Amino acid sequence: MNLVQQLINGIVLGHAYALIAIGWTVLLGVARLVNFGHGQIYMLAAFVTWWSVAALGLPYPVAIGVAVAAGVVIGLIMQAAMLRLTFAQDLVSIMIVTLGFGHMMRGVAGLVFGGNPQVLETPLSWVEFEVAGSWVTAQDLAIVVVAILFFLLLYLVLERGSLGRTARMVAEDPKLAQLAGIDVRRVYFAVFAFEGAAVALAAALVAPRTPILTNIGFEEVIITFVVVVLGGIGSVAGSYLAGLGLGIFTALFGGFVSPAYATTAAFLVLIVVLVLRPSGLAMGRASR
Amino acid sequence: MSPVLEARNLRVAYGGNLALDIPHLALKPGELVGVVGANGAGKSTLVNALLGWSRGTPSVSGSIRLDGEEIGHLPPHARVARGLTLVPEGGAVFMRLTVEDNLAAAQAPRGSNRRAHDEAEIYALFPRLKERLHHHASMLSGGERQMLAIARALRLGPRALLLDEPSIGLAPRLVADVLRTVRDLVDEKLSVLLVEQNVRAAIEVVDRLVLLERGRILASGPAAAMRDDPRILAAYLGEAAA
Repeated sequence: MNLVQQLINGIVLGHAYALIAIGWTVLLGVARLVNFGHGQIYMLAAFVTWWSVAALGLPYPVAIGVAVAAGVVIGLIMQAAMLRLTFAQDLVSIMIVTLGFGHMMRGVAGLVFGGNPQVLETPLSWVEFEVAGSWVTAQDLAIVVVAILFFLLLYLVLERGSLGRTARMVAEDPKLAQLAGIDVRRVYFAVFAFEGAAVALAAALVAPRTPILTNIGFEEVIITFVVVVLGGIGSVAGSYLAGLGLGIFTALFGGFVSPAYATTAAFLVLIVVLVLRPSGLAMGRASR
Repeated sequence: MSPVLEARNLRVAYGGNLALDIPHLALKPGELVGVVGANGAGKSTLVNALLGWSRGTPSVSGSIRLDGEEIGHLPPHARVARGLTLVPEGGAVFMRLTVEDNLAAAQAPRGSNRRAHDEAEIYALFPRLKERLHHHASMLSGGERQMLAIARALRLGPRALLLDEPSIGLAPRLVADVLRTVRDLVDEKLSVLLVEQNVRAAIEVVDRLVLLERGRILASGPAAAMRDDPRILAAYLGEAAA
């Protein structure tokens, strides 16, 4: 196995992981919420992208927009159903409801898109570059570039703008935020819409790498969980580093040890890190 | 003069138990009304209910009017936007935000013609906050947090301010300072409903006093007249005994 090729794979995979996880990071950091339907939003958005390209004949960039819009709608519907639970911060019920939503989304995807695996071909998949004797596709480059831009933008918005301040206020004390005149309900809706949009964007970019099936999404939610916890819950910069680290680790482990045990090894790393550093690798501060 | 804030038949219940029953309560423009009473008398329940705000889940009924407009059906943030502001007990501020961010986070809605304190006025009122501008609120003393909480409320341009025990946990000299500041604000035409357990300190600054007991108004009247009211004296004694 070529080390450079595995490193490139790892970097691409790492950015994909970070992008897949970022919605959950913000969801946890700002609203202290979880979404176990996260993986199924990924799956549904992958199908929507494929369908927009294959059935509607839309250009790939427009299809990405359609998938993101679908992600926003799913996020808003989920939050509308769970608003009371959200205000009560009833995490156990939210976990169960989001799991239920995930199953429903899988059923809907089966009904609408059928049970056959689909392949999303994009114009970028066909363009390849040679880097130090190894190959990388334009699709892979797009994942890396979009992930970096997305994280930078999010970091700036959360750190510099009044939006970030509002987010930190709601994260610290939603009740007190009401007294500062903040419509906490709207913030919760916005955060869930962002979660849906972010994972849909990730799906539209990452799904061309693998066949699209109704039962994908489970691995994505597991990876997200590992990234969010390793990165320090709610930490944007931490999630980026954790995603990247996990991607490189998975690629190297898969390349030099065994791809079959890569996810298991990732969990082992998670357990070891949590035993040594319970707050994750980054210093966990909401939305930083 | 029509009241700035008026409550009628205000009732608050926790799980079927009536915690507050106020047939009528009014706050006139530029008036400082003190709400006193023992622990558990319903003082905090009253101011929280006026804003529709609570850490628990009480059921609240009755009419609440701000400048004659019914606001009882509105969520807390919408009441804040209309000019009713609450500083809850214990100087509640955002600990992980700097003093500057705590203040910047509170702003009167655009286009409103209410008078909000600008930064210069806030620093003139609380010079200490200017010195601590870039500190996280978690690093402030109890008194400084209380100042920050009041300052934040003033930035929202309140028509009426609800203050829940601003003196709690403060050194006696600071209590006098805080209450004097509140009095100065009222003299500048702000209307304030002040919840205070320290009856002795409150009676020195308020215009009117409302004595609560078990969720009901036991007595109310001008501070000067209430000074010798045996029920207020009992409240004094209660304080002395406690």
